[in-house]
Amino acid sequence: MPYETDIKRMEEIAELLRDNQTTLDKAVALFEEGVKIANRVEKELTEIERKVEILLNPVQETEENTIRTEPFEAL
Amino acid sequence: MSDSLRNVTLSVGQITQLLKQTIEQSFYGISLRGEISNFRPASSGHWYFQLNDEAATISAVMFKNRHWKLSFVPKDGDVVIVVGSIGIYEKRGTYQIVCESMEQAGTGDILALLEQRKRLYEKKGYFAPEHKQPIPKDPKRVGVITSPTGAAVRDIIQVMTRRNDTIDIIVLPAPVQGEDAAAIIAAQIQAANRLKVADVLIIGRGGGSLEDLLPFSDPKVIEAIYASEIPIVSAVGHEIDWAISDFVADLRAPTPSAAAELVCSDKRARLEELASYRQSMTLAIRGRITLAQTLAHRFSLPVMSDYFMRTLQTIRMSLDYAKLSIGQQMHERIVRSKHALELVSGQLHNLSPSAILARGYSITMLEKTNEVVRESSQLASGDTVAIVLANGKLKATVVDGNR
Repeated sequence: MPYETDIKRMEEIAELLRDNQTTLDKAVALFEEGVKIANRVEKELTEIERKVEILLNPVQETEENTIRTEPFEAL
Repeated sequence: MSDSLRNVTLSVGQITQLLKQTIEQSFYGISLRGEISNFRPASSGHWYFQLNDEAATISAVMFKNRHWKLSFVPKDGDVVIVVGSIGIYEKRGTYQIVCESMEQAGTGDILALLEQRKRLYEKKGYFAPEHKQPIPKDPKRVGVITSPTGAAVRDIIQVMTRRNDTIDIIVLPAPVQGEDAAAIIAAQIQAANRLKVADVLIIGRGGGSLEDLLPFSDPKVIEAIYASEIPIVSAVGHEIDWAISDFVADLRAPTPSAAAELVCSDKRARLEELASYRQSMTLAIRGRITLAQTLAHRFSLPVMSDYFMRTLQTIRMSLDYAKLSIGQQMHERIVRSKHALELVSGQLHNLSPSAILARGYSITMLEKTNEVVRESSQLASGDTVAIVLANGKLKATVVDGNR
């Protein structure tokens, strides 16, 4: 789920929670949904470990369709 | 030989002075083309070298304050075009050209070629804004087509490590100058598309001369960028450098570091934004719950009791007041009635026959008809009348009526 979509949903939820027309049990359910989203996004931002790799496929091999890589470190 | 010099014997100083004046006045701000040899920068920073062609050589100097802003350092064998003035040095009997500016020969040609090619592709619509793709906001993987040993890749990795270390990077190695560079860069762009290695590509290199940057203006590279389904950011050289790839790509960055900033979102900024949305939702739910509690509290036992008691109190007071009011009104009514009764009684009493009789009056009645006599015409002599007195009654005979 793209970050922008998650942010938008949390904004919507906050808006609905501020609305007095929202029933209490609906509000609690929405809040729970919002917290779940926030937790997931936070996890995605902090726990993902990225890889820095270099492509090994030779340029001439235009038929090869599998990606071959190895870790890369800049000099 | 000039007539004025024919029969004169000059000194060395004089002839040199003549030559100096003549030449220095005439040969200033000239443009000269030649091949560099014997290039030797001095510790002072000034450049000393020779400019040659097949026929001759001339000594040359370029002072530090003139050459510091050149984008290249000349080397032996380079063909250059300099603009400068000739100087004659009396003490040494030599002359040289003092250079004010220098450019690589062929630079002018290369630029002209590039401008022409750029116009051509522009006309073909290769730079049209409608053709450009948006750079994804959430790439999972960024592909970098550049030299694996150059500064560009190092800078890009550094910037992305600092700004958002959750995004994968894959380097597609390619030479960034020289003859085969263009073909390999183009091939890597195609490979990236075929193998779907990334969500966005950066193609670029660090600074260099106009010739060094040429591969990025090569038609093979231009076509490959145009055909790429993966969005491409072109980051060639320093801020003032440019290549045609900058115009056909989906986005142009002034440097490779800038390109890295453009493709990745700021992780720290996102985390802050996330925290503020969390807070926003928490405040909102708290508010909602407080509202519910306030409403519910209205129906709690103490509040309802209180309300009920107050209502009851009001009713009781009304009742008491009504009671009081009835009592008072009844009392008043009785008093009024008593007075009325007394009044009427009095009147009645005054009007009663007994009261009149008590004053000495009597009621005369004709015995035979029981009529009450009011006029003497009602009576004839000899009639018997009954006379009612206040106390008692008597019978009498009329002696003389009609009086």
